[in-house]
Amino acid sequence: MKKISIIAFCLALSYVSVAQEAPKLYTLPSPFERYSHYLATVRITGAVPLGSFSSSYIDKTSFENYSISMEWVTRSAVSVGGEVGYSYFQKRLPRNTYQNGDQTISAVQTRTLTQYPVQVFANYHFLGKNSTIQPYVQLSGGVSILDYTVYYGILSDQKQKVSPTYGVGVGSKFLFRRDGSFGADVRVKYAGTSFKYDYLQNGAASLNTSVGIFYRWW
Amino acid sequence: MMLNRTFIWIAAVATTLFSCTKDPLAGLSDPDSQVFITNRDAQANYKQYKTFSVVDSVQVIEDDYSTSDLTSLDQDMLIRIVTNMEKLGYKYVPAGSKPDIGINLARVTNTSINVVSQPVSSYWGYGGGYGYGYPSYYQYYQTSESFWSLSMLDLKNPDTVTKNLKVVWNAQIRGAGLGNEEYVDQMVDSVFGQSAYLKIN
Repeated sequence: MKKISIIAFCLALSYVSVAQEAPKLYTLPSPFERYSHYLATVRITGAVPLGSFSSSYIDKTSFENYSISMEWVTRSAVSVGGEVGYSYFQKRLPRNTYQNGDQTISAVQTRTLTQYPVQVFANYHFLGKNSTIQPYVQLSGGVSILDYTVYYGILSDQKQKVSPTYGVGVGSKFLFRRDGSFGADVRVKYAGTSFKYDYLQNGAASLNTSVGIFYRWW
Repeated sequence: MMLNRTFIWIAAVATTLFSCTKDPLAGLSDPDSQVFITNRDAQANYKQYKTFSVVDSVQVIEDDYSTSDLTSLDQDMLIRIVTNMEKLGYKYVPAGSKPDIGINLARVTNTSINVVSQPVSSYWGYGGGYGYGYPSYYQYYQTSESFWSLSMLDLKNPDTVTKNLKVVWNAQIRGAGLGNEEYVDQMVDSVFGQSAYLKIN
């Protein structure tokens, strides 16, 4: 009887000691803080034309803008990555006459600007990799494959060019779960592309507000 | 392993996103697609012309050859041209009565077949005169553009040296629906409407 009670008591003790050890597993930092990892984001953007782009060409906000980015998140506050996007602005004007020397053209004008920006970026994060909210500032630069097309009826005047583009933005990541892999990203960015042709004499600038979903892995 | 799978996913999403390009001309009706181009001779003094006449058949120009035709559509066009000219103050006279202005109307069609003719390089040992032999089942695609062309000829002051009749005004009507009889009135009215300098009354 005594033997059994001693064994039972020892078992009970060992159980208690195991229970006390278990919490230690959760005090290890998350792998996302210990390792540098990848982060991919898919975004949809609302873009508002600014400056002379808006006053002399298209002033209509566009919601047809998408992008995908791949980020290399290091253990420091800085992360770098690349982003490829698609952006489309369009405005149709009612029938009007346009003078070209001694020639008069009467047409319904459809103005479009399509861009495929290919950029690299650097983010500076203000909080740790595992905080639920991670605000950051962003600088980006690269080239934009640009297609400027003005339609007069169904006749078109088109110019395509690979132009330099840059961006300055501020945003924040939101983790869905503590130490999770998925999250949301909201970003407001000023984007400018240099381009000079026809109606666009001072480049195309826009204010882009985007919402995205990201997935991170290591 | 994880990386490869994720890259494939990203590529798939990116391809889907970038194939969703919008058609800028979606929803453009036939009348909205029409473009009216008018060219004026800046040196011409339109007030010197009092009478005009129109051709009795329409010139049909297709690539390199031209013929004459007069369909009911052509007749509608010519009648509307006469109405507009009379509104501008010109007097219609038969072609034999020596009018100051003669108006020509043409239907022009430019067709190009988009197949490139390439000479065979001597690399294959067959140079000099050999061309590609396209099997008859190959698909070619044709692009064709049709437009109306109105020309106002100065019959009052013919250039007897170069044997040229000066074109003092020209109008082109391009776009879709050019063969639709419903649009004849608005098409002709538009080209004269944007040429107020033709007015002599």
